[in-house]
Amino acid sequence: MNSVNRVGPAQKIAFYAFLFVSVTLTLFPFIWMLSTSVKGSDEIFTRTPTVIPRHWTWQHYRDLFSALDMARHLFNSVVYAVGTTVFSVLFNAMSGYAFAKLRFPGREKLFTLLLVTMMVPGQVTMMPVFMILKHLHLLNTYTGLILPGTAAVFAIFMLRQFMMEIPEEILEAARVDGCSEAMIFFKIMLPLCRPIIATLVIFTFIGSWNEFLWPLIIMLREDRYTLPVALANLNGQYFTDWGLLMAGAVIVVIPAIAVFLMAQKHYIQGIAAGSVKE
Amino acid sequence: MSLVAALTLPPEASAAPSETAAKPSSIVVWAMGMEGTLMRRMASRFEAENPGIKVVVQAIPWDAAHEKLVTAVVADITPDVTQMGTTWMPEFQNMGVLEPLDAYAVGAPDVAPDRFFSGALTPTLFGGRRYGVPWYVDTRVVYYRKDLAAAAGYPVFPKTWEKFHSLCVELVRRNSRPGQPTFAFTLPINDWQFLLMFLWQNGGEILPAGPDGDVFGPGALEGTLSYLKSFFDDNLSPREANRNNSSINLLNLFESGYLPIFVSGPTLLSELQHYKPQLAGKWATAALPASKASVSFVGGSDLVVFKNSRRKPEAWRFIRFLSRPENQVLWYGISKDLPAVKAAWNDPVLASDPLLAPFKTHLENAKSPPPILAWEEVAEVLSRVMEEVMYGRTPVDQARARYTAQIRRILAKPAAKQSATFRFLATTGLFVLPLLFLVYYFLGGPKAKATGKYQPVAFWFLLPSLSVLSVFLFLPVIATFIASLTNLNLYGLNDLSRVAYVGIENYARLFRDPVFLVSLRNTMLFATLGVPLNIALSLCMALALNREFLRWKAFFRIAYFIPVITTMVAVAMIWRWLYNPVYGLFNIALAKFGIGPRDWLTNPRLALPSLVLMALWKGFGYNTIIFFAALQSIPKSLYESVAIDGAGVWQQFRYVTLPMLRRTMFFVVIMTTIGYLQFFAEPYIMTAGGPLYATMSVVLWMYLQGFKFYNLGYASAMSYVLFSIIFMLTLFQRKMHDRFEGAAG
Repeated sequence: MNSVNRVGPAQKIAFYAFLFVSVTLTLFPFIWMLSTSVKGSDEIFTRTPTVIPRHWTWQHYRDLFSALDMARHLFNSVVYAVGTTVFSVLFNAMSGYAFAKLRFPGREKLFTLLLVTMMVPGQVTMMPVFMILKHLHLLNTYTGLILPGTAAVFAIFMLRQFMMEIPEEILEAARVDGCSEAMIFFKIMLPLCRPIIATLVIFTFIGSWNEFLWPLIIMLREDRYTLPVALANLNGQYFTDWGLLMAGAVIVVIPAIAVFLMAQKHYIQGIAAGSVKE
Repeated sequence: MSLVAALTLPPEASAAPSETAAKPSSIVVWAMGMEGTLMRRMASRFEAENPGIKVVVQAIPWDAAHEKLVTAVVADITPDVTQMGTTWMPEFQNMGVLEPLDAYAVGAPDVAPDRFFSGALTPTLFGGRRYGVPWYVDTRVVYYRKDLAAAAGYPVFPKTWEKFHSLCVELVRRNSRPGQPTFAFTLPINDWQFLLMFLWQNGGEILPAGPDGDVFGPGALEGTLSYLKSFFDDNLSPREANRNNSSINLLNLFESGYLPIFVSGPTLLSELQHYKPQLAGKWATAALPASKASVSFVGGSDLVVFKNSRRKPEAWRFIRFLSRPENQVLWYGISKDLPAVKAAWNDPVLASDPLLAPFKTHLENAKSPPPILAWEEVAEVLSRVMEEVMYGRTPVDQARARYTAQIRRILAKPAAKQSATFRFLATTGLFVLPLLFLVYYFLGGPKAKATGKYQPVAFWFLLPSLSVLSVFLFLPVIATFIASLTNLNLYGLNDLSRVAYVGIENYARLFRDPVFLVSLRNTMLFATLGVPLNIALSLCMALALNREFLRWKAFFRIAYFIPVITTMVAVAMIWRWLYNPVYGLFNIALAKFGIGPRDWLTNPRLALPSLVLMALWKGFGYNTIIFFAALQSIPKSLYESVAIDGAGVWQQFRYVTLPMLRRTMFFVVIMTTIGYLQFFAEPYIMTAGGPLYATMSVVLWMYLQGFKFYNLGYASAMSYVLFSIIFMLTLFQRKMHDRFEGAAG
């Protein structure tokens, strides 16, 4: 429905108007967060909040960097999020490939079993997982932090659904040419799955990047805290310094946006289409 | 001091001289949030005074401090000293992990019991022994607008209930403007602390004879409830839950005069000075009004030593250091936490501040809740029935019976005994069940081999993720199932011999639990409203993003995804402001169309749709991205070929896009349904399940039962019921999908 349909200028204007209205709605809290982080404390709680601060100040950011060892926490966050993303994409894509394209006994049964376990709310399994890590002596280690998140049923499910759409002929042709399954997986499947892997990278990275409870419970020493955990320490039981909190929120969100922008480049129209045509 | 210090020198130090001579012995201290960061300053003073001891302070965020302490106890990785909320003391004392401190306190007059306010000391005593030392106290006083009260004819804050009520009536009369709701007093509609404070003021008591006696003393309760209810009935207080009473609303409304009176702890002194410097001089603090006596609530934090600590004498020295009056004053200067030691209040810094005087008054007579184990659960009932009475759902004269029945049920938990058989079955079950599955799986194998082509390489592809899942998902899931058949709670977690088999008791109890039944209904409502809206919106947005002529694609993609990444704290703050009944954007917009204001979050009928709207806004970008990625893989040639056949935009969508998306659609429908059935973050942050349980979801109730009340067996049973519901729904969706697939293929 793209190039094949002509779109008149009036339609285009209406279309853009709709997009801009919806974008304003979605961006509003974000912009407000940015603005709160650069305005004075006396300006934060006004009855009609100002979007553009009357007085700009970097004080909240200065306070943040003097209160916390930001480099240390940033490093921990990067290790956690990147580690989880890399291993989880690799492991889950391998499983997804097996469930979508390989034949083995009980494939459907096993897949149904996976789907079923996805329905247990995560809050329930946290305590047993913690106990298991304790017995494996993995508390307070990056391995213990990352390992449980490297396999996710939802990711296997998502990849499987996408891979099933890829025509069997491509794989058969490669097999006839003498490719091993490993080669097919790395050389053909993964490139064809670029859009869905990009999506998964975004979800996994942002999920672990923003995670709070898990890294807090696993890590026993403050110098191992990730950024969201360290930032939560700036709250009093009742008192909240909103300027400081929002400055922290901005710092947390910037790398997440950067990863999104990098990953979304792989949504290139026609990659899959081009290879399917043959 | 030096003599006392010499007497309490660590015995371990002399036992292992080589170690201590080489490096100072270090103690690990946990403190919460900002206090953890600030405590380092006290620690360095202590180190200067005690060169042989090093203090390592770890800050633990308040948001999850309780979880962190529980997991530390369970895993045997406790620090030497920790800060502990006064209401948590009974739980940890009962777990048997706290060190009794009486032996250490002998010969230490500066930490003698009579040095502390009695309201602060009581929570540290169990069976006549001291298990902690009060560190700082936190008590509630009245904050009011002096200028407005004076204008209303009250230059001095009223001392009695009747006069206080009259002041509120007068303030509302003077401040009201047409079309703008105006109130006088912020009274949280479901807050047990307020119920207790007013009950005590009215001469009442809760559990006066301990957990086995009457729930309330004679009289007092009905009068207290009627008095509190009159503030809502006379429109003197807005119907707001304490959760919604975030500082943004409170401070703005205080400044504008719409809410000139509220009751809060000492932190509001700092908040008002920090955010509203322009109000200085216009407000003051006062003691709470009295019916029979002016009584407030006391909380705060204690310092405790864990039994497992290997440096108890050093730990004790640090606690003693923090209890010295001059250090309590110093700590007040650093953190603004109120000293728990009486002598510290004689210091001019505290004695000369008129804003602190009401705190001092209340500390002399403030009370704390009774030290019973199931306090969190009892508190939940106190708050819930209070809300029912305030909304008029439960008549005042029936409240006592309702309270008594529910609180009795909580306190009268049968002590089941662990049987050896169960222990055997549970441990074997954990390992036998997965084994049985493997046997079943491999016995089914040969048949499959005969029918299809078997590719052994699949094993290697599955190995990494399946091994991770087996250890960190399947095993916990089985453990949860076993737990759902037991009375597992906080104490059982720490000491497995206290866990006993209760059969299907947890499941049977679920269907007698009115809150669970309501939460089930709400969860179904969340899903039936939220899932179709979410999928329709995200599909529309993905199609829009996929238009070929669209420019700045990256910008629009990120813009729709921003709500997903933005931290829930910022989102919740904005949405509370949008939904604010007085100056929220939604009500301002409605007023433009001549529609009156709506109570978005406090009207029991409107609260659930309000949260669905918020969740829709926060979540649609997620599915938009998934749909968008899937749209990328549809070959352009397909559209070209149907366009040649003369198909319009709608027909292209119907005959090309939709069929090509069917696998993604199946995935998205299942995931979104599961997501909405596990609805949690929005009600947790925005409404805490209220008003009147109108937004309580199954997972939120499970979370409260599991991580607030630590009824882990019960919470596990709840998760299995939810699990079976989701399972059946997914099975149904799968059948539908297969039928659709069959018809399409």
